[in-house]
Amino acid sequence: MKRHIMGLALFALAASAGGASAQTMSFADAGALIAKACGASIERFCARDDIGTGKVASCLQQHQKDVPPQCFTALQQAEAGTTARLAAQKATFGLCQDDARQFCKGVKPGDANLLDCLLASYKVVKGACRQGLTDAGWAN
Amino acid sequence: MIAFTRRAAGLALAAGLALGASLGFADRASAQTPMSSAEITKQLSEVTQFDPSLTAQVLQNMAQRAVQANQPLPLDQSEIAKRLAKLAQIDVQIQFALNSAVIRPQSYAALGSIADAMHHPILWNYRFLVVGNTDTTGTRAVNLALSQKRAEAIKEALVNLGKVDPARLDAVGLGQEALEVPSKPTDPINRRVEIFTIGTMSAMPKPLQ
Repeated sequence: MKRHIMGLALFALAASAGGASAQTMSFADAGALIAKACGASIERFCARDDIGTGKVASCLQQHQKDVPPQCFTALQQAEAGTTARLAAQKATFGLCQDDARQFCKGVKPGDANLLDCLLASYKVVKGACRQGLTDAGWAN
Repeated sequence: MIAFTRRAAGLALAAGLALGASLGFADRASAQTPMSSAEITKQLSEVTQFDPSLTAQVLQNMAQRAVQANQPLPLDQSEIAKRLAKLAQIDVQIQFALNSAVIRPQSYAALGSIADAMHHPILWNYRFLVVGNTDTTGTRAVNLALSQKRAEAIKEALVNLGKVDPARLDAVGLGQEALEVPSKPTDPINRRVEIFTIGTMSAMPKPLQ
C-alpha cells in the first residue's frame, strides 16, 4: 500500500515536472474515469465514505484484493492528468506572454478577455503558447 | 448592492455552445441532464450584479429560524428569492446516497465539470455559494441539517478533489425551505444543488501595456 501511494506521488510529480507537454485531463473526465473504473467498488466497499475527504482512496486500498486493478490505474491517471492540467493552466499565460504583447495589446485582463484574444489569434500564436492553451483545456 | 456589468463576448466562441440566448432562472428545470463545464462556465459568468448582503450565514439563519419557529419560509415569493434569482447561477443534480451526504460515483463527472468551470479564466476571480435543497419528504429539521451537510460535501469535494481554492466557496443548506416547484413539494426535482456567483476575489487586473 505504501509503495502504491509513493508510486502515485511519483507519477503526479513526473506529470507536473513534464509541465505543459504532459498529457492533461479535465476534472470532468477524471470523475467519469474514476466512476467507471471504481464506482462499483466504491458503492460496495466504501459506501459511507465521502469522496471529498480522501477516505475513499484509502478504503479502496484496504480492499485492494477485491478491487479491480483498473481502478487503481484510473485513480493514478486521474491524479496525474488533472495535476498536469492545473500546471498547464498556471503556465499558459506565461508561455503566451510574447504572443499576448504582439496580438493582444490593450486588452483588459480579467473575465478571460486575454484568453479570448489568444484563442482568436490561435493560428498565429507560437507553438508553445498554442500547446499551452491546448494542455490547459481551453483551446477547444 | 453593487452594479456590475461584464462582457460575455468570446466565451461562446471558446465554448462552442448550442445554448439559447439566455439561460437563467426560467431554464432551471431543464438542468436535469448533466451540464458540460462550458455550459456551467457560461452560466456562472453571466454576472449582472452581486448582492453582498446575501451571504451563506444570512440564508442559513433565515432557514434555521423558520424551522425552529415551525413557520413557513415561502422563499419562492420572498424578496430573498427575487434577489437570488438575479444572481448568475446553475442548478445541478448531484446524486447522494439515501439520507446521507455521500456523493454517489455517477455524479463525479458532474462535480468535475463544476471544478473545470471554476478553473476557467473567465471565473478565476469569482466567488460562489453552494446551496443544498431537499424536497419535503421527511421532517423539516432533518432536511435542513442534511442539505447543509450535502452542500458542505460538495464544497469539500470541489476543494479537495477539484483543487478549487476554499476561499472561493461558501456552502449553505436550505432544506425544504426553498422548493423549486412549490406545487409539487415531494417531487425529486426539488432535490437540487444550486451554485450562485456571489462576488469577486479581488479587483480586476490592469490592462497590458
